[in-house]
Amino acid sequence: MKKYGRGLATIMFGFGYGEGFPDHSIASIEIKEDERIVIRTAAADVGQGVITTVIQIAAEILRIKPDYFEVIQGDTHTTKNSGSTSATRQTYFTGNAVKKAAENLLANIYHYGSLEFRSNHPEINVEDGKIYMYDDPDNYITYWDLARTLDQNGKKLEAEGSFFPVTYKPDQEGQADKVYVAYTFLSQVIEVEVDTDTGMIDLLNVYTAIDLGKAINPKNVEGQIEGGTVQGLGMGMMEEQVIQDGITLNPDMSDYLVPTSVDIPKFKHYLVEDEDSEGPFGAKGVGEPTLIAAAPALANAVYDAVGIRFFELPLSPSRVKKALQEKAAEDE
Amino acid sequence: MQITLRVNGEERTLDVTPYTRLLDLIREDLGLTGVKEGCGKGECGACTVIMNGELTASCLVPAPQADGAEILTIEGLAADGKLDPIQESFIEAGAVQCGFCIPGMVLAGKRLLDENPNPNEEDVRYGLSGNICRCTGYAKIIDAVMMAADKLKVEGSVNNGE
Repeated sequence: MKKYGRGLATIMFGFGYGEGFPDHSIASIEIKEDERIVIRTAAADVGQGVITTVIQIAAEILRIKPDYFEVIQGDTHTTKNSGSTSATRQTYFTGNAVKKAAENLLANIYHYGSLEFRSNHPEINVEDGKIYMYDDPDNYITYWDLARTLDQNGKKLEAEGSFFPVTYKPDQEGQADKVYVAYTFLSQVIEVEVDTDTGMIDLLNVYTAIDLGKAINPKNVEGQIEGGTVQGLGMGMMEEQVIQDGITLNPDMSDYLVPTSVDIPKFKHYLVEDEDSEGPFGAKGVGEPTLIAAAPALANAVYDAVGIRFFELPLSPSRVKKALQEKAAEDE
Repeated sequence: MQITLRVNGEERTLDVTPYTRLLDLIREDLGLTGVKEGCGKGECGACTVIMNGELTASCLVPAPQADGAEILTIEGLAADGKLDPIQESFIEAGAVQCGFCIPGMVLAGKRLLDENPNPNEEDVRYGLSGNICRCTGYAKIIDAVMMAADKLKVEGSVNNGE
């Protein structure tokens, strides 16, 4: 018999290294004479999309289409430290470093642009890669023109930005002014059907609400939620490393099962954009928080379906079936 | 020993040992590194190629078995610099994260659509189930293949003058 159940779990996740550990990112941006804008950052994009994110941020601040940007990433010869791609920190830290670099560069565009027009900042406008006087918009110079002019004088149209917030170690009671730079919150409801004959769990739907401050790239955010949740569900339902005398007995993908395309639920996402952090445009980290609620929400859903509390993962068919049999024996 | 095979429409003749894997022939000898090695045991799908019309784990094929075969790798999918509709769909759906599984996923999706141009979601899920992905959670990959099916239908009706 199949029994329906649903479960909820809510998590909070302090991201960045936190606890007083030095945590910062440095980035620079240069407008080149050949109509490119080069961002230099050591942030590693491992698929989560930080490169897309920093281009969006810089394009927004510099008031120009993203098409012109290229990113030199993780080159120790030309980039400065951005810290690791870990701790769910790159959007917040490198996003902010790039935002600051872009703001400094925009200031330089105003500065050198106003020199070209022999005018003041309030009288000139910067838009779509062009600089002009408000009262004569047809008489403009482009960012590239400005870069060429500066180049003739041995200068570059560039700027650097860094982000270095302070956090504090918690005291013995776990209290401190600021242990982490900010917290991401996530609630997840999972609907399942448990087959009481086989112990198998069918995943139906996963509803995720995440307070992420600001979704700089909503599609990337959804990808992070789906990927993290499926890893969490793998942990919850099937992934189990079996070790005997120090030897892993199931070192293969056929013995150590991870979810495949037939195992995943349907998703629905709710992005809560509070813009309440000091991240770029209020954004917070979304990587690791997406994994944490899945297994407890699943266990709660199974409890709702069959009335059994599990305290060990994964909820494999054999473990669920055994528990159902024990419960049936107790109930008799 | 010498074998001859067609890879992405081009005839290639190569010297191989009897125990060279087709995967290594493609990556090392032909330099087509879009074909990935994941598990090396035929379990993960990262090394997928289409060999004589069938999805094949190239890590399990001794190169001599590919003598005379017709092989399509991810590099052969785009024609004249234009992406295949299924590649476009992967981009538009946001289906790619780290990208390691994606060449195999795209080929699995293509093979599925070649056989069944009107798949429902269950068909797509089943068609991709031999390819493991660790970062995306599959949802957007499934969306991408469904999207490609729609695109190919529109293209087909345009080509037929409908």
